Amino acid sequence: SGQLYCSLPNPRNVHFESINMKNVLHWSAPESTGEGVLYKVKYSVYGVGKWIRKPECGNINRTWCDLSNETSDYEEQYYASVKAFLNGMCSEWVETTRFNPLTDTRIDPPIVSVSSTEKSISIILTAPEKWKRSPEEESVSLCQVYPGLQYNVSVLNKQTKKRWWFSISNNTLVVPRLEPGTVYCVSAQIHVTTPLLLSGFSKEHCIATLKDK
Amino acid sequence: TAGNRTFHFGPCRVSISMTEIRSGFTAIKANIQARDPIRTLSILSYPHSLHKGKSLDRCCITHHLFNFYVDKVFKHCKTEDHYINRKISSIANSFLSTKKSLQQCHEQNRCLCGQESTEKYNQILANYEGLDVTSAAMKSLGELDILLDWLE
Repeated sequence: SGQLYCSLPNPRNVHFESINMKNVLHWSAPESTGEGVLYKVKYSVYGVGKWIRKPECGNINRTWCDLSNETSDYEEQYYASVKAFLNGMCSEWVETTRFNPLTDTRIDPPIVSVSSTEKSISIILTAPEKWKRSPEEESVSLCQVYPGLQYNVSVLNKQTKKRWWFSISNNTLVVPRLEPGTVYCVSAQIHVTTPLLLSGFSKEHCIATLKDK
Repeated sequence: TAGNRTFHFGPCRVSISMTEIRSGFTAIKANIQARDPIRTLSILSYPHSLHKGKSLDRCCITHHLFNFYVDKVFKHCKTEDHYINRKISSIANSFLSTKKSLQQCHEQNRCLCGQESTEKYNQILANYEGLDVTSAAMKSLGELDILLDWLE
């Protein structure tokens, strides 16, 4: 009767990878199964009774599935699960740990823009946006999601190699009393204190202060 | 101390060591949640997430929940892992000091409870009592981030 035998080895390392709340389920193929393995994916909201199949990730041969849409409410927590199929055999369902989009996401570095005068540089920082379903959807900045979001800013005098550090809550910073005609390089990182989240540092943005008139 | 955060619940002001509690929970989260096999029930979020209660009295719910965790959760969460147990007692101590501040607010009528908040807390107790004590306590501890996320 086409009964499936669940003796296939299980998918491994089933976990969410999340960046700016773009939540993608990843896993590794079962051990020693070679080509041709297909997968099914389901997910559930923690505390709610039912598992929900993800049709777009039914009978797929890739080892990831984008569940951003299904896990976009970051006031809820989630589980996801994967099952493998090969030649009429199947594996068990293998679950993730409980996924909390708010605390388990990683945040990209901020976007840095810099301008200068003779003796100062002005820095504007922009936090990344939360993942959204479509470009038309309203953008939500991560600083709206994390009210305690701060920026760590590094300013380096390229000549003297002297470096300043600043930690700011708003997104603009003016660094005064600099040397005219000198190159300064700026890099910034996002820091959320609780839950503790730390982005990488942005690429360095270098700019020269204007020369003395 | 560093990492303390002051919360203003109307006239009631309390300091909560959020950074310490959060880091303690992060250290035990996988271990504790793995001990809770019940996906279909939540103590804090059933039937509705704390976030969905728009007119919940934040002071009242916070006061009730800090009492709940001190009186009904931490003491029932002994594990065979000393490291986990130490983390749990550190979180419990942080809760204890905040509980006392909230108790003062309550006694001075600065932490009142409306009907929705009372109903929500009764639902939480019903969810808790629907399981055996150890399972309910372990599940509640695994949901600590739900409370922390709501607080913040």
